[in-house]
Amino acid sequence: MPVDEHPNKAAFLQRVREALGRSEPLLHMPDHPTLKSALPRQEEKVRTVRARVEVSRARNIKRLAETATEASWYVHGPVAAEDAADVVAEIATGLRAKRVVRSSEDVFRRVNVDGALRRSGISATVLASGRSRDRSTLKALAFEADLGITGVTYAIAETGTCVVTPRKGVARLTSLAPPAYIALVEADQVLGSMDDYFALTRLAHQKSRGRVPTYVNFISGPSRTADIEQTLTIGVHGPGVVHMVLIA
Amino acid sequence: MAKVKSAAFKKASARAVRDEGIQHALTHVMDHFTEARAEAIATDYSDESWEAMRTRAAAIKAHTIGNLDYYLDLADRSVRRNGGHVHFADDAAAATQIVIDIAKRHGVKRAIKSKSMVSEEMGLNDALERAGIEPVETDLGEYIIQLAGETPFHIIAPAMHKTRGEVSDLFHDWLKSAPTSDIARLCSIARDALRKHFETAEMGITGANFVIAETGTVVIVTNEGNGRMTTSTPRVHVAIAGMEKLLPAIEDLPLFLRLLPRSATGQRTTSYTSFISGPRAASDEDGPEEFHLIFVDNGRLNLLKDEVLREALSCIRCGACLNHCPVYRKVGGHAYGWVYSGPIGAVVTGPMTGMKQAADLPYASTLCGACRDVCPVKIDLPKLLLHLRHRHAEGSPRDERTGTWMERLYMRRWHDAVKTRGALERSTRLGRLLQKPLVRRGKLRSLPLPLVSGWTKDRDFPALAPKPFRQIWKEGLGGDSDAG
Ligand code: SF4
Repeated sequence: MPVDEHPNKAAFLQRVREALGRSEPLLHMPDHPTLKSALPRQEEKVRTVRARVEVSRARNIKRLAETATEASWYVHGPVAAEDAADVVAEIATGLRAKRVVRSSEDVFRRVNVDGALRRSGISATVLASGRSRDRSTLKALAFEADLGITGVTYAIAETGTCVVTPRKGVARLTSLAPPAYIALVEADQVLGSMDDYFALTRLAHQKSRGRVPTYVNFISGPSRTADIEQTLTIGVHGPGVVHMVLIA
Repeated sequence: MAKVKSAAFKKASARAVRDEGIQHALTHVMDHFTEARAEAIATDYSDESWEAMRTRAAAIKAHTIGNLDYYLDLADRSVRRNGGHVHFADDAAAATQIVIDIAKRHGVKRAIKSKSMVSEEMGLNDALERAGIEPVETDLGEYIIQLAGETPFHIIAPAMHKTRGEVSDLFHDWLKSAPTSDIARLCSIARDALRKHFETAEMGITGANFVIAETGTVVIVTNEGNGRMTTSTPRVHVAIAGMEKLLPAIEDLPLFLRLLPRSATGQRTTSYTSFISGPRAASDEDGPEEFHLIFVDNGRLNLLKDEVLREALSCIRCGACLNHCPVYRKVGGHAYGWVYSGPIGAVVTGPMTGMKQAADLPYASTLCGACRDVCPVKIDLPKLLLHLRHRHAEGSPRDERTGTWMERLYMRRWHDAVKTRGALERSTRLGRLLQKPLVRRGKLRSLPLPLVSGWTKDRDFPALAPKPFRQIWKEGLGGDSDAG
């Protein structure tokens, strides 16, 4: 259902136009490189990005581990997929986590987090609105949990960032509400720079006729503040302890 | 709209200079910011040099502002395609009414807010309270100044003038917490107090660091995670953006996401960057069911209309020009009297709120140029300040004039006196004669003329040298001179 145009829009735009010394709307899209790049050109660009990401994978993973550490992530691995679950269980035990919530990306099929946690006597709940779970129950679960675990869509070596895209099976609060958080990053998800990520995003946008994910998060370290006397304090509203498990 | 007290700049800044607490905070915090920035821009970021990045960012913003009507239209269509609502508000009152209407429609009792400078312009918190809606600021700094009933002291560090003792007192008064001098403890008191609001608030209000026209995406940059909370837990999300916040396409972002945190806090990146493109999809597990974006003019048109001042709309509110400004570093943020302070505040306050009441602000600068050198989008702030001074002096439109007829008369005489070499020589000869009875040790201690007597109230005026430089030069610089 299309949303109505605001009644003040036309007059508002006209005033802007006149302030710029024009009386008519522009007939053509103004000339701007990132806007002009049409689908074929963007596809070409993304092919180059993918090729570059492929050949620099090892370097990007190494760089990611560095930048993430600088951004105060605890970085683990790279470890083999079959060992990753044990790493997660170890972290959870170290945190004395009792109530664990997780999302349900594909990575959990390759990494049996539930099994490893169970062996440590911890049970994990998938934070999703199933048949019997409404909005406020989901919220309450997230706020009571002491650890959240998710996969990522991408990771960015430049900034030590995990890109988390909430959607079906991935609640926004899993990576946000609990005081501790673990991100599972697979090797083929590691990009070099923000430019790589946004090139891919724009292509996806063009290919799906303008659709974009409703919400995307760049998570680059723990929640922090320096609002009182410029003194850095970790863990204000988001998780204060964040672990990144790199899976080879 | 929030009250404008810029007319009291001189008094307020004199008070700030005498305030030990403020002076202490300014000395400590400002160096912290400038050092962190210097270190951050000295390390690697991408293949582009810092200078090249600034140049490109300035060009992208100038392009966007120069075609603002096109990009506003594109953003409007994109957000609506994503299922969000877009509003266009001419002024603070209109924007405030839009927020209140949305809140009323949803029966909202409490709204959580993530930092938004536009909402400060609007005086939104007061208006919400009057409408029976409780606003709760969730950025720690904003929360502190909300409890204190103050306005932000700094664009990115709103409570930097508060000591831990003052924060402890505020929390004790409002939250009944035990007094403490432990900053981590103070943070966790605020965390606990705000967490229950995150769980229960029905509406989230945020600003927008950037709005991407092509995809209809609102970008919010935070460190604490309050921005994510505010856009995740409530049923309704309202984002308020100055109409200049646009960027054409998503691939323009990396550049700005590199420039902003480095310029602001010296970080490579902030902890969180959130990209919001409309309300939750039906298949999403959580998130607001309704999304609104309000584009606000509120005086920005006055900047846009002036071809010189237009540049100020490129500002990404990083605060670097404040941190490097010798005047801000002395008088702090409150003296400027409205929402924006430092060089950028001195530029925008007059055009946005009324030239006359902010007439002193363009003079709150030594024109040293430090602000221009650090601005990530290369705004030529000294040029804009001079342009404003010119508008004040010459008054076009006439009603902006703040100089008196006597000032203009003096200036015209001055102009005549120095216009040509002959005139200059004649007038300095005359001046030397006239100043004789007033000179003490080469200085004029008090000028007897009306208007200019104020110049010598708190300082001396250098007297004309007995022998002009021109003559000394002619006689050879090492030659006999009684100039001392
Ligand atoms: S004028 Fe430039 S330096 Fe000042 S806040 Fe804006 S972007 Fe930052």
